[in-house]
Amino acid sequence: MMIKRYFKLIPILLVSAFIGFGFSFKPKESHYKCMIQMTNYTGEGAYIVISLLNTEGEYEKTLYVQGDDDEWYFDITDWWDFYGKRRTNLDAITGATISGGERAISVIDIEDDKLDKGYTIRFESAVEDQEYYKDDVEFELTTDNVKGKTEGDGFIRYIRMMPQK
Amino acid sequence: MTISVWRFSHLMLALISSIFIVLASLTGMVLAFEPISNQLQDYKVESMDEVSLATTILNLANTYDEVLHVEVDNNEFVIASVLTNEGESETFYVNPETGEKLGDIIEKASVFKFATNLHRSLFLKSTGRFIIGLVSFFLFLMAITGIILIAKRQGGITRWFSKVVNENFEQYYHVLLGRYLLIPISIVAFTGVYLSLEKFDLLPESDIKHSYPEVVEVDVVRTPISEFELFRSLKISEVKSIEFPFSEDIEDYFFIKLADKELLFNQYSGDIVSEQPYAMVQMASQWSFVLHTGSGTIVWSVVLFLVCIGLLFFIYTGFAMTLKRLKNNEKVSNSIMKDDAEYIILVGSETGTTYTFATLFFKALITAGEKAFISDLNSYTGYDNAKQLIIFTATYGEGEAPTNAKQFGKHLDVTVQNKLEYAVLGFGSLMYPEYCKYAIVVDALLQQHKEFTPKLPLFKINNQSQEAFKLWVRQWSESNAIALDVKFRDSIKDQKSSKSFKVMERSALNVDRSFLIRFKPQQRVKFESGDLLSIKINSDETARLYSIGKLNGDILLSVKTHDKGLCSNYLNDINANDMIKAGIQRNYDFHFPEYADEVVMIANGTGIAPFLGMISDNKKKKKIHLFWGGRTKASFDMYDKVIYQAFDKKYISSINIAYSQEQDEQNYVQDLIAQKDEFIANHLKNEGVIMICGSLEMQNSVLETLQNITNTRLKMSLSAFENMEQIKMDCY
Repeated sequence: MMIKRYFKLIPILLVSAFIGFGFSFKPKESHYKCMIQMTNYTGEGAYIVISLLNTEGEYEKTLYVQGDDDEWYFDITDWWDFYGKRRTNLDAITGATISGGERAISVIDIEDDKLDKGYTIRFESAVEDQEYYKDDVEFELTTDNVKGKTEGDGFIRYIRMMPQK
Repeated sequence: MTISVWRFSHLMLALISSIFIVLASLTGMVLAFEPISNQLQDYKVESMDEVSLATTILNLANTYDEVLHVEVDNNEFVIASVLTNEGESETFYVNPETGEKLGDIIEKASVFKFATNLHRSLFLKSTGRFIIGLVSFFLFLMAITGIILIAKRQGGITRWFSKVVNENFEQYYHVLLGRYLLIPISIVAFTGVYLSLEKFDLLPESDIKHSYPEVVEVDVVRTPISEFELFRSLKISEVKSIEFPFSEDIEDYFFIKLADKELLFNQYSGDIVSEQPYAMVQMASQWSFVLHTGSGTIVWSVVLFLVCIGLLFFIYTGFAMTLKRLKNNEKVSNSIMKDDAEYIILVGSETGTTYTFATLFFKALITAGEKAFISDLNSYTGYDNAKQLIIFTATYGEGEAPTNAKQFGKHLDVTVQNKLEYAVLGFGSLMYPEYCKYAIVVDALLQQHKEFTPKLPLFKINNQSQEAFKLWVRQWSESNAIALDVKFRDSIKDQKSSKSFKVMERSALNVDRSFLIRFKPQQRVKFESGDLLSIKINSDETARLYSIGKLNGDILLSVKTHDKGLCSNYLNDINANDMIKAGIQRNYDFHFPEYADEVVMIANGTGIAPFLGMISDNKKKKKIHLFWGGRTKASFDMYDKVIYQAFDKKYISSINIAYSQEQDEQNYVQDLIAQKDEFIANHLKNEGVIMICGSLEMQNSVLETLQNITNTRLKMSLSAFENMEQIKMDCY
């Protein structure tokens, strides 16, 4: 009797196990090619941070950092408030600073379920001894926007994004 | 003391910026190793000059999902930014011929990061950058003033590389190295300024604007990249960088940077959409960067390293020189007022060396109880009780007055003066065509002046010769009947290097009261014919120097005894097997010239000693012609054994002797030279060397004769040969 009961439990266990595993599955991510084209400013190379912001406008995730010398990171003040506390490892998502007139192309990963949910993507820029632009480029993360071009207000002339095949 | 505006600026700029220059030099030394260590990495492919851009692009495109950017850095390493087949963005060195990855990008070592930061901004950001930029500019000005100072010192820019007069270690090497390093230093300083101006955005606007055409939607035929004509013709080594189109949209272009221009390319047709050459300003920026950092070249990096060491050396020697000069000048203080003094010493000195001699003379006068007064030539004025005016002057630049003597001529005209006697002592170097020119001018001015009568003729001193100076002091002492004791500071070196020598043999005194004496060194000691043996009898006496002839490893001296000569009488009193203590002073300027094929040796009296050694050692049988002047035929007897032995071995080609006291022929050695003027002229023209050893009077007469020969027969100044190291002298 007892054994039969246990047998009956098996499907239930299986189902709940599946459900459990299902929740811990990583959400699916897509790669996007992202190009930053700088204005012809003069001076040192710019530090640029690309971040994902949630619907409340709070930082949720750092997507990419152009500029690999972390002693200058505190110059990007808003983001530093978010990143400085945690200091997550950025090695995989850092590149070199970008100088005036140059462009840089990076690949960023965004979880698919953040698309069209009111999330925004922000590009902050700062240059040694010059201005800091908190939202040089900022736009809503929509299916259309990740295929397009957005003009910048500061050191960035424009950015372009394109989903990778 | 008065110094010229150039010297003053050179010194002031150094004072202001020295600390920063030391910092920049030290960091610069470290940074010079960055391009060197990068160059030593093995990422350069030999076939760089043959592989076409099309090959590289095609290979990369086949190997990776997408190519974003290709760059050729100053080391000629090819860097590719690609998206890998896994969708990752990566940047690394590639082989342009195959597209395969060679290695990860060299990360700037933290020591270089630190040094770079310190070097260009002192960790003070903009403030630091500004300071460094300004110091660069000061360094550039110092280089310019340095060039002017050297040109003046050498006697004109055309004499830039002629021999430098050696006053002391600091001065000699400051000038000697300065001549070579001033050019690279100017380059480093100038490019430093340029890079600073660029950072502060102070260069003229020079941005390139590409015009993007209106996009026309037509069906374009897609030409494969490998067919693009420019891609096929351009070698990868000619390309600076190439950006690939971001997307397949027709308005996304290939963007190529070459050394001198930028190009936009249609990605479908391969047509050039826009072509813009770089402006001068941008080219200059590229060059400034390479010249300042040494990026991509080991040779230039080494030069930059040497520049850094040189700068430290210049700062050290420059300040050491300045301190020395200040110290020398301090000691001159007058205790007697100008109107009470009987002997007025006026000095024209640019660097202070002439002042040192004048001060020695001044002190000797004071010690002798005479009323003497010393000052600059510029401060010439009326002197109420003066008997004699004694002028010590150097010459500066191309025969001009030193800075503190420039006003003398003017003051001389307007000053009312009592009747005065005068003596002029000129300091200079025979290496300059305008030898003692200003002293000659001063002497002439005084001669024409009705209140002045000469006490002694103009006397010239070559290369600060102490022997010549002593000779003049003796002459002055005799004609003024004042006994003077001039005290030179003896170098401590002589004492330290004192060695033992054993007397092997000596000849009897000859008719001129001269004799030959041979010593064997008792310790290992290095010397050559032409070096000097310094013998000091009492510790408070100055050492007496004798020219050495090296004969079979022994020292041969030829000594003339004087009635009051302490040293010569001491040597005369010693006999075979006695021991003496003496020091060897190397005299590199008077060694046998290995570079010459033919040598003329001119000597009088005991001056023949070094030549005896050189002739006996002439195993290569180079042509040697000896000219010797003595009093009588018997004077030569003690030398003839050595000379005729050498003659039999063909070690000497000709012997010419002049006797000044013989009945039938009364000749001096300079007369022999004058008779053989054609031979001497040819000898000099064929790069032969003339060596002179003996008394100063003989040297002056011989030089005068030689000057006549070069002027009339070669239409050249003797100083030209002097500079080619064709005239070597050792006279006393």
